[in-house]
Amino acid sequence: MAYISMGEAHRRITDYLNRFSDSIFSQDALSLKQLISISSNSSSLLSLADALNVFQDANRLVKQSDRFSQFGEIVVPLLRCLQNYRINRLAEAYNSFEKSANAFLQEFRNWESAWAMEALYAIAYEIRVLAEMADRELASLGKTPEKLKAAGSFLMKMFGALAGKGPKRIGALNVTCQLFKVYFKLGTVNLCRSVIRSIETAKIFDFEEFPVRDKVTYMYYTGRLEVYNENFLAADQKLEYALVYCNPRSEGNIRMILKYLIPVKLSLGIIPKSWLLEKHNLGEYHDIVLALKRGDLRLLRRALQEHEDQFLRSGVYLVLEKLELQVYQRLVKKIYIIQKQKDPSKAHQVKLDVIVKALRWLEMDMDVDEVECIMAILIYKNLMKGYFAHKSKVVVLSKQDPFPKLNGKPVNS
Amino acid sequence: MTHQGASNTDAMANFDPNTFRYVDINQGASSAYSSLNTGVPSTTAPWTMKWADNNSTLNGVAPSSSYYHGQQNESLARDNKDVTDAASQAVAVPSLGTSHGPQEHAGYSSYSSSTDTYGHDNTGYQGYYNGYHQQTSNTYSQQVGAYQTSGAPYQPLTSVDNSGSYAGSTSYSNTYYNTGDYQTTGGYPSDTNNNQSTSWSDGSYANYPSHQYSNYSSLDSNGAHNSSTVAAAPLSYEQQYKQWADYYSHTASDVSCAPGTENISATGASAQNTQTPGSYFQKPSDLDPVPYENSQDLQKSASPQRSNSQYPLHQISQSYHSPIQTVSSFDARRVNKVQIPTNPRIASSLTFGLPKTDKDSPTKDAVTKPAYVSVSLPKCDTKVLSHDAADSMLKPGMFPASLRAYVERALARCKNDLQKTACQTIMKEMITKASADGTLFTRNWDIEPLFPLPDMDVHKDISQKSSIVSALPKYKRSPSRRSKSRWEPLPEERLVEKLTPVNQASVKEVSWDFVKEREQTGSGGKNESKEEGWSNAKFLQSQQQNQSKNSQRPFKKPRVGDTYSVSENGDASSDSEKEQGLTAYYSGAVALANTPEERKRRESRSKRFEKGQGQRAEMKHFRPKSAGSGSLYTKRASAMVIAKSYEDGGSRPVEDIDWDSLTVRGTCQEIEKRYLRLTSAPDPATVRPEEVLEKALQMVLSSQKNYLYKCDQLKSIRQDLTVQRIRNELTVKVYETHARIALEAGDLPEYNQCQSQLKILYAEGIKGCHMEFSAYNLLCVILHSNKSRDLVSSMARLSAEAKKNPAVKHALEVRAAVTSGNYVLFFRLYKTAPNLNTCLMDLYVEKMRYEAVKCMSRSYRPTVPLSFIAEVLGFVSSLQTENNDEKHTDVLEECEEWLRAHGACLIVDNSGDMQLDTKASSSSLFMPEPEDAVAHGDANLAVNDFLTRTA
Repeated sequence: MAYISMGEAHRRITDYLNRFSDSIFSQDALSLKQLISISSNSSSLLSLADALNVFQDANRLVKQSDRFSQFGEIVVPLLRCLQNYRINRLAEAYNSFEKSANAFLQEFRNWESAWAMEALYAIAYEIRVLAEMADRELASLGKTPEKLKAAGSFLMKMFGALAGKGPKRIGALNVTCQLFKVYFKLGTVNLCRSVIRSIETAKIFDFEEFPVRDKVTYMYYTGRLEVYNENFLAADQKLEYALVYCNPRSEGNIRMILKYLIPVKLSLGIIPKSWLLEKHNLGEYHDIVLALKRGDLRLLRRALQEHEDQFLRSGVYLVLEKLELQVYQRLVKKIYIIQKQKDPSKAHQVKLDVIVKALRWLEMDMDVDEVECIMAILIYKNLMKGYFAHKSKVVVLSKQDPFPKLNGKPVNS
Repeated sequence: MTHQGASNTDAMANFDPNTFRYVDINQGASSAYSSLNTGVPSTTAPWTMKWADNNSTLNGVAPSSSYYHGQQNESLARDNKDVTDAASQAVAVPSLGTSHGPQEHAGYSSYSSSTDTYGHDNTGYQGYYNGYHQQTSNTYSQQVGAYQTSGAPYQPLTSVDNSGSYAGSTSYSNTYYNTGDYQTTGGYPSDTNNNQSTSWSDGSYANYPSHQYSNYSSLDSNGAHNSSTVAAAPLSYEQQYKQWADYYSHTASDVSCAPGTENISATGASAQNTQTPGSYFQKPSDLDPVPYENSQDLQKSASPQRSNSQYPLHQISQSYHSPIQTVSSFDARRVNKVQIPTNPRIASSLTFGLPKTDKDSPTKDAVTKPAYVSVSLPKCDTKVLSHDAADSMLKPGMFPASLRAYVERALARCKNDLQKTACQTIMKEMITKASADGTLFTRNWDIEPLFPLPDMDVHKDISQKSSIVSALPKYKRSPSRRSKSRWEPLPEERLVEKLTPVNQASVKEVSWDFVKEREQTGSGGKNESKEEGWSNAKFLQSQQQNQSKNSQRPFKKPRVGDTYSVSENGDASSDSEKEQGLTAYYSGAVALANTPEERKRRESRSKRFEKGQGQRAEMKHFRPKSAGSGSLYTKRASAMVIAKSYEDGGSRPVEDIDWDSLTVRGTCQEIEKRYLRLTSAPDPATVRPEEVLEKALQMVLSSQKNYLYKCDQLKSIRQDLTVQRIRNELTVKVYETHARIALEAGDLPEYNQCQSQLKILYAEGIKGCHMEFSAYNLLCVILHSNKSRDLVSSMARLSAEAKKNPAVKHALEVRAAVTSGNYVLFFRLYKTAPNLNTCLMDLYVEKMRYEAVKCMSRSYRPTVPLSFIAEVLGFVSSLQTENNDEKHTDVLEECEEWLRAHGACLIVDNSGDMQLDTKASSSSLFMPEPEDAVAHGDANLAVNDFLTRTA
């Protein structure tokens, strides 16, 4: 840390305080946002933080002037937060920030217009990010990480301030998205439900009126929730919305959406082009797609095993596992096609032995009963038309469209 | 009669306003009433209704209302009619009587406070108090019964009462007698009042008349009369009535000093007479003529200030009343006999209902208390302290024990009187606040930080900031009270009693502070405020009494049935004596250890304790109530520890005891022990130490008895482990054993309990069959929760090492089979399941089979042989079939039966083999209602099971 003279420190602090009060008086949300964004590590904030560590009695400066002291409740803890943040005392930084944020929210409630929305977004973001950092710090110290939870309840409070009627409602979705992030991180996804309900049932504010970026985020998270619920059609719809409206330059975001959208699409029988996977660096799905195309059960199982942890963490494991039936379908279809080439008249009768043999070639050691069961399931789930004759151990396929395509419909379950 | 209470209190508090009101009433009967009730809007309507139809089912209520009327007109005859009406309404009447209790008592309690203020003789009062208690105990349970039957009528009544009496202080009536409270708590909780009230009603008969008399408040007397009639029940009423008439004439002549109130007073007197014919005459003669005159004057002048001066009067009259009291209680007993037939049922419900009530009551109190607590706190305190010994029984329930402890703690820090007063002010404010926002009973006072000790110069302007407020409550927890906390040790009683007198004196001083303060504020402020204070105090008192009664109950609960009345008489009184001694001792102990260092140390100690025992603190919330009145168990448990500590160093203060050492160390050597849910502190004599528990576990493991027996035994082992805070491999073993046995028996609720405990134990690093149980856990999630998110997260939580474990692996395979619907795989895994995985899979078998048959009937054509289905769906155990053809056919039959039960169509083909006709079956399959289904959803709770368990 470069040496800063007392005077310089004093100057920097008063400068910051001036800018802070100016931005409020001129209702300049963007510059206010810059002053609040602690974690942005902007040079001006960092130098201010250094100054604060030199000039310890910043509170006095705030109290001296009426201009500053009216925002004292916001600024004083904010400065303390900055100070702590600079010296990496993150849990304390979070605590001060929450105090400041509470005071700000109080002020915000009193402002009639929604001019400070950007600044509020910044606070919602900062409090989450700081809470995450603080929790990491706490965890490393062997303490219970609880700050993110606290941030969640603060955000809920913020949501309450926005969710009513009026111009401020436009900010509700942004806060909702921050809440989603908190809840997904905490693994308390069920808490999302109440927020979603209040967003989706409110008739006073059309969903389309929210800012696009918030809509995309919202759709992404709700889409993920639908994946958890195995509600693939709804998940497809929401994630696709997110994909379509997502800023094409936000590569990371697109990838995150695709991570869920691809399995969902696969389960609906829609297979992505390989260049899509390559472009977005989604190699983990490569083998799975290939297995689906080839009817290669072994490949599917291997791919699942290889990326098991990843898939389990993102929660798509079960979705992908269910692709197995489609792989079987593909396999039988292949056999059928081959038979058809040999002898079209008998092609619709597929002997169980043949399928068992094919599976054995794939090193899938399954006995007749098990394969029979799978055939029965295929027919039962309408992936195959026809019937199974137990006596002769033959799958008798329908002559018309024996392997109906899913075409965007989920497998009957 | 409801009004009686009202009028009573009114007479005490705002005497004059009331008289005015009554005049109003005279002019316009019903309308005037409703105006009275305005304080409690909700009640107005029902009230007037009742008024309107005296002879309707609500007669019980109506008569009372007409009382006023009667008074106004001074037509006694009419009064009587009404009363008879009430009497004939057998059910309604008792309830009325009981409902009175608290009110009357309220009036009564105010005396006590006044006693202090005016320097009346305490001892007389105390003695009276005690004696009183004993007598009442008899009536207790029966009265309760009476109350219960007429639960419904009770509510409106009380509300009416309030409206009448507390028209002046609206806030009070709203909060305290909030009808809603009674409703929500259900029939029983209201009992808390009742028990109280019954005991008091006896007392109040005695007290009541007397003080009415002195006041000349006819209204009061009416009330008293009412209650007496109520207690007497129809039969006895007639007699009494005659007497009453007789006495009426007497009184009238005797009392007619007050011009305006002549007739009214007469009624009052007569009311007394009914109850205690003989003693009635004593009073007037005994009474000092002078105070008598005073009271008259007071009435006339109608100045609120002087209402104070009435108090001494009451006091006097009260002391005269003791003879009356006995008589009345006698009456009450008679009543009880009459009521007995209805009791048995109630008694039984009592037993069962109690636990709930206990829990409810705190919450209820929390709601009801606040408003009045706030103002009158000091009052109550003075009383509590001054009557230290005598009252000790009644006090504990007043405020949560934790709160009292807090107050005590806070006061203990004070270096001098000035500081003490400052602290008191702060705490008063805190309690006021806490009670106002209803947190008085919900707040965990144990962890509430103490407010900063006020500086001498600053203490005057101590603001009511919430932080301070939050710290306050402890004031209440006078040293004496502390001893009742369940976790505190109690010394031998003998030791203590010698100290009593001194302590009492010192305690009194404290209380006096308060009184003075109170008075200052009263005189400094408006007179009204004072009045309010007084009236509140009354309610406070009554509430307090209620509470204390309440608090006794949990401890009596276990023996409710036959010993109820006996224990009332015997135990209760003896307990109270002990308590007196104890409390006194403790106050002394605190006084001794009042040096600053000691205080500091104590503070830190108590804090540490509270933090360390979060769970216990919670329990405390309910506990103190039971412990308060001296749970024998507590005493036993803690007395032992205390005795030990005395050996160590005689002068060591109570607070020096290491709380960890209070953890029970069992001494029971019996291996077998039935499980009984603890309702009080565990008694070491019935708790088994670890070695014995180990034997007990072995005994259970080798036992040939049924699951219910084993479950019971294991539960008691678990309990003993818990109370001794044993958490080691034995604990794990016990829980594992229980979980396994529960799984085998299909008792999932019990299994889940064990599983969740095991999770915690494993997380603490205690070794056990972790893998086995994580496999069970996984299977549970798979089979019983449909949420794929739960499944994914529990799968993600498995370590790589765990996934290699055969049991876990098996569970994962089962999961795969279930999600893909692969029934063949499922039933194969079913056969090869390690440990008790089978038991969990069993729960899914039915569903899996059904799905499988559905699938088959859809995809197979034309038929599926039964033997194939039986094999694939796990009906066949391959080992058995190899050896035994008979068994094979058995299995086929079983399969056939199952298929038919699920609506499958079976045909016999040419070779004589049974076949499933898939096409026909595809539309006819259904899931039959489970045979063992029970309406409440848990077959384990079926009556038969229950009976076997209890047998």
